[in-house]
Amino acid sequence: MAGQPGTTPTTYSPSPTTQKTRKPIFNKDDVDWVRPDGRGFHQCRPAFFRTGAVNAASGSAYAEFGNTKVIVSVFGPRESKKAMMYSDLGRLNCSVSYTTFATPVRGQGSEHKDFSSMLHKSLEGAIILETFPKTTVDVFALVLESGGSDLPVVISCASLALADAGILMHDLVASVSLSCLGKNLVIDPILEEESYQDGGLLITCMPSRYEVTQLTVTGEWSTPKINEGMQLCLDACSKLAKIMRSCLKEATSTSQE
Amino acid sequence: MVGLSLGEKHFIQGGIAQDIRSDGRKRLTYRPINVETGVIPQANGSARIRMGATDVISTVKAELGKPISLQPDKGKVSIYVDCSPTAAPMFEGRGGEELSTELSVALQRSLLGGKSGAGAGIDLSSLVVVEGKICWDLYIDCLVVCSDGNLLDALGAAIKAALSNTGIPRVQVAAGASGDEQPEVDISDEEFLQFDTSDIPVIVTLTKVGRHYIVDATTEEESQMSSAISISVNRKGHICGLTKRGGAGLDPSIVLDMISVAKHVSEQLINKLDSEIAAAEAGEDES
Repeated sequence: MAGQPGTTPTTYSPSPTTQKTRKPIFNKDDVDWVRPDGRGFHQCRPAFFRTGAVNAASGSAYAEFGNTKVIVSVFGPRESKKAMMYSDLGRLNCSVSYTTFATPVRGQGSEHKDFSSMLHKSLEGAIILETFPKTTVDVFALVLESGGSDLPVVISCASLALADAGILMHDLVASVSLSCLGKNLVIDPILEEESYQDGGLLITCMPSRYEVTQLTVTGEWSTPKINEGMQLCLDACSKLAKIMRSCLKEATSTSQE
Repeated sequence: MVGLSLGEKHFIQGGIAQDIRSDGRKRLTYRPINVETGVIPQANGSARIRMGATDVISTVKAELGKPISLQPDKGKVSIYVDCSPTAAPMFEGRGGEELSTELSVALQRSLLGGKSGAGAGIDLSSLVVVEGKICWDLYIDCLVVCSDGNLLDALGAAIKAALSNTGIPRVQVAAGASGDEQPEVDISDEEFLQFDTSDIPVIVTLTKVGRHYIVDATTEEESQMSSAISISVNRKGHICGLTKRGGAGLDPSIVLDMISVAKHVSEQLINKLDSEIAAAEAGEDES
C-alpha cells in the first residue's frame, strides 16, 4: 500500500460492531429519526481517494467511504487473447470480488458476477475504446471491507484507477446510491440502512458531460420521488467528481516534485 | 452478433426515425402476444409466452422451507433464467451464462422489491405457513426457447402468467407443536390457493435507436441500439424497478422522458396481458 492515508491510521481495523441483536434502525412512522452515523439524510460520507495504491499495476486507486474500503487496479492495455475475434475497439474486462473478511458473515471471497457486469456497463460508455484496438484492459476491484454502498464506491474508484493508468476517457465516472426508507430518501446508505431499505437507486454518471451511464432502481417508486432521487444523486455525483479530480491533480503535483 | 449489411442497418434506423419499422409496426407497438398456461404439468404453475419469434417458458415450483431469521414473517422467492444453447449458438458457454445472470438480476430487481420486501410484486407475507418456522419457497425458473429480442419483457410477462396459473396446496398445521419444535404439516392434494397477481408489474423495455425509442425490439433492431432501459411498472403506475443496458450515456432528462413513455405504454400492456392470460386460463379449463 503506497498510498496509506496518514490522517486515518485505523484504516484496516474492523469496525467495532459488537452489538449482537440488531434493532430496526428506524420506525416507519417516525419522521425525525437520526441515521446511525449521525449524518443528515442528504449528506454523504466523507470520501477519501488515493491513486497509485498498487505498484505493479498500470494504474490503481484506493477509496474509503466510512467503513467501505475498496482497492482497484487496472492492468493493460495488453494483447487480447488469441481466440478473440479481431476488434476495432478495445475490450474492457471487469471483475469485482470481495475478500473473505469483507462482510459480517465470512464470505467465499469469490467474484461478484452481478457487480462485475454492472461495473463493466458503467465504465464502457466513458472509456474511448477506439484508442486501444485489438487489446484488453483489465479492471480488478477488491472490496476490503463492505460498509454499504459498495458498488458505487467500486465504480468511482475504478474510474479513478483508469485515469491513473492513462486510459483515455470522455470523463470521470462518479457513482452514488440512495436508499428509500419509509418516506425518507437517504443518500450514500451504510450497510444497516441498505438491509432495511424499501427501495434503492443507483446512478453512475459523467458529471462534466451530464450523462447517465448506468441507472438501476429497485422497490416501488412514484415518478416525483424518482425525479427527486435522481436529482439528489446527480448533485452528489458532481461533488464527488470534484473530489476525485482534486485527488488526481494532487497525485500529479506530488510526482512532479 | 447479427450480421447486417450497411444498407440493412440504414433501413432499420431510417424506418424507426419515420415511425414505421421493418415489420410494419409503429415505434410503440408490441408484437402480438400469445399466452399459453399450464404447459408444464409437473410444476405448480407454468406459462409460455410467444412474441413474434421470441419464445419463453416460465415455471413456478413451490416447496416448503424455513424463513430466514431476519424476516420470519416472509416467504422466499428466487428467480432464475436459463438461456439454453438450443435457442442460439451464442448462448453456449460464457455468453449464455452472462445473459442468464443479467436477466435473472433484472427480473429479481423488478419483481421482488426492495430489501425490506416493500414494493414487491409478489406478496411475500402470503407465503408464510407458520411464522418463523415454515414458509413456501417459490422457485421461478424461466427457459428461453427461442430468442428474437425483447427477452426481458417476455420473461416478465411469462412470470406474471405462470404465477396467475399457480396453485399452492393448502397446508394443515398439526396443533400442539410448541417452542422450538418443527410443527408437522399436512399438504392437501385437492385444495389449492390461488395467487393474487394484480400487483405484479409488467416490464417495458425502451430501446433507443438514433434519437427515438422503440418497444419490443427484435434482435436486428437491438443490434442497432445505443442504450436501452427496462422499466417495470405496476397497475398503480408506480415504477417497481429499472435497469439500464448498453454503455452509451444518456441525458437525465431523456431518462425521465423514457420513464413517462414507459408508464403510458405499460397501461395498455397490462390490460392486454391480463385479457390474454384470462383467455388462456379459460381455454385450459375447457380442454
